[in-house]
Amino acid sequence: MTKPVIQLSNIRFRYSEQDQDVLDIADLQVYQGEHLFIQGASGRGKTTLLNIITGINPPYTGQVQVLDTPLQTLSSIQSDQFRVDHLGIIFQQFNLLPYLSLLENVQLPCWFSSKRRTQAVDVEQSSTDLLTQLRIPERLFNKPASALSVGQQQRVAVARALIGKPAIIIADEPTSALDTDNRKRFLDLLFSQADKQNSTVVFVSHDQYIAQHFSRVIDISDINQAINHTATVS
Amino acid sequence: MKLLKIALKSAWNRKVSISLAMFSIAISILLLLGVDTIRKQAKDNFINTISQTDLIVGARTSPINLLLYSIFHIGSATNNISYARYEEIASFKQVKWSVPISLGDSHRGFRVMGTDSDYFRYYRYANTQSLQLQQGEVFKDVYDAVVGYDVAQSLGYPLGHNIVLSHGIAATKFSEHADKPFRIVGILKKTNTPVDRTVLVSLQGIEAIHIDWQSGARSALRISAKKARQMGLQPKSITAFMLGVDNRITLFGLQRKINNFPNESLLAIMPGVTLASLWQTMGEFEKVLMAVSALVLLAGLIGLLTALLTTLNERRREMAVLRAVGAHAYHVVVLFALEALLVVMGGALLGIAILYAMQVIMQPIIAENYGLFLSIKMLDAEQIVILLAALLLAIILSLIPGFIAYKRSLQDGLMVKI
Repeated sequence: MTKPVIQLSNIRFRYSEQDQDVLDIADLQVYQGEHLFIQGASGRGKTTLLNIITGINPPYTGQVQVLDTPLQTLSSIQSDQFRVDHLGIIFQQFNLLPYLSLLENVQLPCWFSSKRRTQAVDVEQSSTDLLTQLRIPERLFNKPASALSVGQQQRVAVARALIGKPAIIIADEPTSALDTDNRKRFLDLLFSQADKQNSTVVFVSHDQYIAQHFSRVIDISDINQAINHTATVS
Repeated sequence: MKLLKIALKSAWNRKVSISLAMFSIAISILLLLGVDTIRKQAKDNFINTISQTDLIVGARTSPINLLLYSIFHIGSATNNISYARYEEIASFKQVKWSVPISLGDSHRGFRVMGTDSDYFRYYRYANTQSLQLQQGEVFKDVYDAVVGYDVAQSLGYPLGHNIVLSHGIAATKFSEHADKPFRIVGILKKTNTPVDRTVLVSLQGIEAIHIDWQSGARSALRISAKKARQMGLQPKSITAFMLGVDNRITLFGLQRKINNFPNESLLAIMPGVTLASLWQTMGEFEKVLMAVSALVLLAGLIGLLTALLTTLNERRREMAVLRAVGAHAYHVVVLFALEALLVVMGGALLGIAILYAMQVIMQPIIAENYGLFLSIKMLDAEQIVILLAALLLAIILSLIPGFIAYKRSLQDGLMVKI
């Protein structure tokens, strides 16, 4: 087995206004090149888990290690920089800035990260290649993002997550706005591109029908002790 | 630089509300700079009306009144000075030059001023400018007149034209000196002072038209123009006179001496001092105008703040996306500040452009109607400070929505669900 790229141990997290933990994970390891699917119903802490892995919300206790870097040792600015250097992020929807062209949207991470810029080699070339591979018609490249369909927007978001070869792709329900056919096609494209540059994929969704496409599937309820704890209390 | 590009494109995406905010800033900048320009130019024009004259002497009244009637031809004298007294003072050894002024008549709404040819030698305005003739020459004969630029322009008088003076300031048919017309022998160049609106004649001319008048009414005894010419025409009284001294150290002594003159109540004023105190009285009004304009600018900036605050919600997504692709939370603050800066800079440039366009258009109209000559100048240091202050204030105000967005983007993290 390859080494873990993400390691969580004994982390607990709660929002400042809450008196109970929303996340309590004893151990989670994600390995290099894995396609990990974390499933679970809404409100079980999937998004919170992603916020912890991306360094947005630090846990109040426990260790989060991403690519051998303990996130708790980073300042907030360092953690912003670490995020753009090593992670590509795809949201559920509204991933793009409507006033930028497709190419500019794809290139955004390279504007903020010299590491991504260097790894992309030729930013212009790399962004057109990615869009082409994700089957976006070339005539749209310089159009504003607002001109696209939702399916196209999600593919552009994939291109943006992939540019500059980040080690990890984080996706928060990116398929929930797509229909079944598009979902399958979206996942195929995501996986093939991620594999090409050897990126690990961490994907959260409540949609268990897509679980079959992943090499590893985890249910958030199985690892988040906070839910079980709340359940037993109530 | 990329951040600036994002700020620009983002603002362009909301161009309607942004350009409205920019326009309201432009109008308030226009107002503020416009009021400031007019106030400074009015002051320049005003202070420049008379220069290099050390004292103005008239019958005892208030200094401002003396200045107003003798130089600005506003209001009238309470009393005259006897010509003998004038000659006595003019012959003081400290006095280098003196010019008598005799007022009280008019021609179709323009004041007539009797003086002598020294007026053209010694009267100075705008620091060192002396009166220049556009056409013709200085009056020599009793019935010669030299008219100011505006008089010739608005009445369409050529050289050689004959005019009739009226007694008093209101032009009525009953009080015309119709039997003694004057011939225009000279037209002055424009000075942007009250001289432009004045008809200048010799003291002898003034004497001649009043020779058969008593107490403001024509006496039964009529004396023809020709006959009057032969009657000596020695002036008996004048309204005021201007004088210059050889050595300015003697000025205060001379002023005190005139003010304490034993046989006649006289007042001697230093025009510069009185101009300044007169301007100060009006200056209060000027301050109010500036304060109102500053408040309008503040209202414009608060309008901008409102525009920024109302976009906070719709921009929440935008901030989350930017954070996901590596923007730091402080970039969010910078984005708002850049946007405010952009709006105020655009507004200021637009305002300045309108200001100059208006000056070009309004210049002849204001000069004609109000005698105020606007010279089109670069912005001065004070106005640049005003602009910089507006920019600074805009940045400070933009920190409010900036920090709200910053806080929210920290709370929201990457996964805003809107």
